[in-house]
Amino acid sequence: MINSVELKNDFPIFKRVINGKSLTYLDSGATSQKPIQVLSKMNEIYEQFNANVHRGTYQLSSETTTLYENVRTKFKNFLNAYSSEEIIFTKGCTEGFNLLAQSLTKQFNQGDEILLTEIEHHANIIPWQMAAQEKGLKLKFANIDKNFNLDLEHFESLLSEKTKIVSIVGESNISGMLTDILSLTNMVREKTNAYIILDGAQLVPHRSVDVQKLGIDFLCVSGHKMLGPTGIGIVWGKKELLEEMEPVFGGGDMIEEVNFDSATWAPVPHKFEPGTPPYVEAIGLGEAVDYLTNLGMENVQKHSDELRGYALEKLNSINELNIIHSKAEKSGCTFSMYVDGVHASDISLMLDTYGVAVRSGHHCVQPFHKKLGIDATFRATGYIYNTNDDFDVLVNAIEASLKILK
Amino acid sequence: MSIEEKVLNYKKILSLFPNTQEKYQYLIEQAKENTNFPKELRIDEFKVNGCQSQVWLVPEEKNEKLYFISDSDALIAKGLVTLISSIYSDESAEEIYNSKIDLMQEFELGAILSPARRNGAFSMLKSIKNYAEKLRN
Repeated sequence: MINSVELKNDFPIFKRVINGKSLTYLDSGATSQKPIQVLSKMNEIYEQFNANVHRGTYQLSSETTTLYENVRTKFKNFLNAYSSEEIIFTKGCTEGFNLLAQSLTKQFNQGDEILLTEIEHHANIIPWQMAAQEKGLKLKFANIDKNFNLDLEHFESLLSEKTKIVSIVGESNISGMLTDILSLTNMVREKTNAYIILDGAQLVPHRSVDVQKLGIDFLCVSGHKMLGPTGIGIVWGKKELLEEMEPVFGGGDMIEEVNFDSATWAPVPHKFEPGTPPYVEAIGLGEAVDYLTNLGMENVQKHSDELRGYALEKLNSINELNIIHSKAEKSGCTFSMYVDGVHASDISLMLDTYGVAVRSGHHCVQPFHKKLGIDATFRATGYIYNTNDDFDVLVNAIEASLKILK
Repeated sequence: MSIEEKVLNYKKILSLFPNTQEKYQYLIEQAKENTNFPKELRIDEFKVNGCQSQVWLVPEEKNEKLYFISDSDALIAKGLVTLISSIYSDESAEEIYNSKIDLMQEFELGAILSPARRNGAFSMLKSIKNYAEKLRN
């Protein structure tokens, strides 16, 4: 069981007072807050260990390199990867998708297809659009139904031998939708030879993910959404696939041998990681993995489910509120909302005056907002440090704000 | 009244409200009172870039003075652009171009004035200055 009231003590930011009110942070979908353990570890690295990794032949560098490389092992265990060499450090999920899009499509032919869904984050659309334009590939989008869930029948109907990539969100940052990944991988394997990529930006912070069980090929993870610092994330990929892939970014540390006119690449994962990596951030992220592991991902998941149930019931009590949220039995604790005739940015500015932090806009999922005919929504997301009380504060603040705005 | 005097006047009014919420309520009132923007002018030609909310600005030149009317689909943003329009209206292009007052610094308006590229008010201020610069030449 997670005791969020106690847990808040680990997060220094909750001591802040915003507009005279204690902070009610409901924007973890954009970025999570950081526990003192992560912050202290990063400080400790700068104060006690700092030296560039993979280069020095002195103690400091060797210690930092070990700490940095150990984070791969932490992720291997966290995600049940086959090997720690399958963990590639990136700047974040977005860079992960760009890396995969540029590298995987190198051998594709004109007319090959990439299958996404209508509710993907721009990070899982734009890199594919760019690759598609360059190589003459075709993007297809599986429908999201009226209950804000993936239409599996439509998804299946779009699969063919031409499908080379299926890249899909695991937990939606709009509706909380949890993709039925197992059913989906079975369908894909039956009908295609496509690579299966999972967008784990929201899924990995909230739910236990076992890449072997899910039967996927690649997973993109954002560090700052799972209690880690910004500027760091990972791509997990099956080693045999990573070995076949060409790097897309070049520079130091990713090479085996360099001549004036050619070079050979270092083995995975290093061939994908040119230059000095953000090793302090990576080590900080490793601490975040430990923090979540200590809590137990089954407890994190249970907390998310309970919080979602409470929040949904409370939000449903506001009559004029339209809620974009997966109607499935299970979903993430993410609610995008709008009120007819009131702009989402007005609501979020007013909520800020009650100390409530939510996001407004299209949350980097503009095509889906367009499909629904809505310019903007405001979005509340819950995480491990959020309590039922936080959603009570939100609901009261929405009601008070609407009185002023209507 | 000069641009500076108008800014200081609004600053004084805003300072009467003890917290951000009441300042927003004042902007909402200004927005509700601003009914002079014809709906048919809510077109791309007059749209100012912004992401959080849409803002429209229509400039007009009369007797060597500039006049602005503005609108937004969000109330608090509309209140703010209404103030900005009134500050820069009835002024010459030269006066607008030369005005160095940092309106965003002067108004303490919480999150709405965060210097984000998404903020319609910032883009609008830039549009007003650009327009003045063009006419001045």
